[in-house]
Amino acid sequence: MTIRTNALVGAGLAALLLATPAIAAEDEILIGGALSLTGVQAPLDTPGFKGAQVAVKALNDAGGLLGKKVKFINIDGKSDPVTVGNVAVQLIDEGAKLMVAPCDFDFGGPASREAQSAGIVGISTCASDPLYSSWSLGDKQFTLSMWNTTMGATAADYALKERGWKTAYVVTDQFIAYTKSLSKYFVEHFKTIGGEILLEDTYTNGDNDFSAQLSRLQALGKKPDVIFISSYGTDIAVMIRALREVGYNAPVLGGDSYDEPAIHEALGKKLGNDIYFVTHTWMGPEAHPDMPKFIQLYKDMYGEDPDTSFVATGWDTVMLMAEAVKIAGTTDGAAVAKALEEGEFKLLTGDLSYKDADGGHAPDKAAVLVELKGGTPSFLGWRRPASIPNP
Amino acid sequence: MSFFLQFMIDVLSLGGAYALMALGLVIVYGILRLVNFAYGELIMVAGYTMYLTSGSGLPWLVMAAVAVLMAMLAGIATDYVAFRPVRAKSVTAVLITSFAFSTLLQNAALLFISPRPRNVPLPEIFSETVQFAGVITPARNLITIATAVVMLALFSWLMRRTVLGIAMRAAATNFTMARMLGVPANLVISSAFAISGLLAGVVSMLWIGRIGAVVPGIGLEPLLIAFIATVIGGMRSLQGAVLGGFLLAFMDTTLNFTLPQDLLKFRDAFTFSLVILILLWRPQGLIKGPASGQRT
Repeated sequence: MTIRTNALVGAGLAALLLATPAIAAEDEILIGGALSLTGVQAPLDTPGFKGAQVAVKALNDAGGLLGKKVKFINIDGKSDPVTVGNVAVQLIDEGAKLMVAPCDFDFGGPASREAQSAGIVGISTCASDPLYSSWSLGDKQFTLSMWNTTMGATAADYALKERGWKTAYVVTDQFIAYTKSLSKYFVEHFKTIGGEILLEDTYTNGDNDFSAQLSRLQALGKKPDVIFISSYGTDIAVMIRALREVGYNAPVLGGDSYDEPAIHEALGKKLGNDIYFVTHTWMGPEAHPDMPKFIQLYKDMYGEDPDTSFVATGWDTVMLMAEAVKIAGTTDGAAVAKALEEGEFKLLTGDLSYKDADGGHAPDKAAVLVELKGGTPSFLGWRRPASIPNP
Repeated sequence: MSFFLQFMIDVLSLGGAYALMALGLVIVYGILRLVNFAYGELIMVAGYTMYLTSGSGLPWLVMAAVAVLMAMLAGIATDYVAFRPVRAKSVTAVLITSFAFSTLLQNAALLFISPRPRNVPLPEIFSETVQFAGVITPARNLITIATAVVMLALFSWLMRRTVLGIAMRAAATNFTMARMLGVPANLVISSAFAISGLLAGVVSMLWIGRIGAVVPGIGLEPLLIAFIATVIGGMRSLQGAVLGGFLLAFMDTTLNFTLPQDLLKFRDAFTFSLVILILLWRPQGLIKGPASGQRT
């Protein structure tokens, strides 16, 4: 009986949704979004979604875009690549002129492919794997994020050039393309600039058990200058906790998946020390003069402070789209893509310029370095590596 | 020697947690012949209770007790919401309602709390280390082993010495006969869910003690572990579940220690191959359990 009621309610809702199609009006520019608000991708996409909404409101309050009102409709991609693709098709049918794609190649790719085949520009909020390129997705597709090449190189430069840490121990979580390629580019760049990798180890996301890796590290007999852990989610805290507990106090380096207040708190005063990570931005005026303004607008809309800096990726994606449309003077896909390729943008998440379509739309982007001390993060500054590994 | 000791501590602490997870799943299965797929969410409920009470300033043990109690209540709620209304109808219906309840709880956490991780307070002792016989190990591991021993002893006493335990074992062997002899069906089933919740709550403290945070999907891994452990050990046997839990931990840890780097990323494939081999050898699982009665 419960099931039947559920099915009925579901059918009713579906009918309701179908009955009110949101066909874009003439005086509106529709931005479609396929961000996942439920499922495994929700932790990354929900902040982007919230930031994007703040940006749309700010655009409209400032008079819209090309004299038209901006409308943002996001349909939950449910962390399912097929659903993400279908949602993108539906939004394009409803007249979307631009597409906000989810924050990862596996989930965002389908939205970008649909945008490409409809001839419109699609931008992923924070996909950082170099797979997110015009080579694999088409000449109108971009990602707002730096690639893992930049992220890995920034971490390696910081370790060796700035701090003189010469030997590294690297742990790679076999979870997704992001965790694997981040380690790959860190190792590659660290070796190129003269560092030595003492040991590389693997971890399986969700294991919550780091004992075997620890005993291999102990068997090595040498202590590394720096520990690079590429993982995702709360497992990062599990590994750092395990290392610190048995006396490995070497600095720990990582990527943007460390940018999560819950991880910082989970490590706390005792274990959250000497941890450095490369991420998209810092939620303070040191990172960008407009940051306090964005935070204030966010607060006005949601009544609370942003709980992660990933909200800035949503704001930036919409603002980047708006700026490119302004330069192009139209929402035509080819013209907007050209504006993105040629422009240099000063975003909350760093200065950004793209290579052309033949260059994969590789983002040349600045990265933020953050230090964790006593469980509290602090801003170390912007970095733009002089050279990065080839994707 | 110290390596061996280290290895044993790792296996026993992981195995203890796995055994408790498996036991919580199998106690319901034994009576209803149905896997409760909302079991992982009981662990999640305990975790979020810890998060929500973390600002209260209560001592950690009190918060943990409240969290375990909430898991028990959620267990009983599973029975009332997902199982009781459709229990007499069809297996498929119960299977789907238990999935639905699991999704419902997960999405409630996602919508009303956050899809992002939330912090769970841990007592100081969870981050301390103990050094003996040349081995450095987190105190947490020893706590896990001790907790597992205490819980298993308590559970064994409950099942053997109390009226409720005997009634539950009777119901697990032949439910219809047990009912004819005056064992109240609803009470036995609700108790099984409550005990399942108790085990999930305790496991949650130990499991989250390794992480320090809770996310909506935290229950997935424990559910999978519990399921595999019970399949290895024998779906019908309580001892089998415990054995299966320890065996799974032993296999995982051994593979973690011995596989070369290139193969380590395929560890789960090796684990599951071993599980298949065990099942080919013993299709009923390692311990067969009581003669199978009819499902109710």
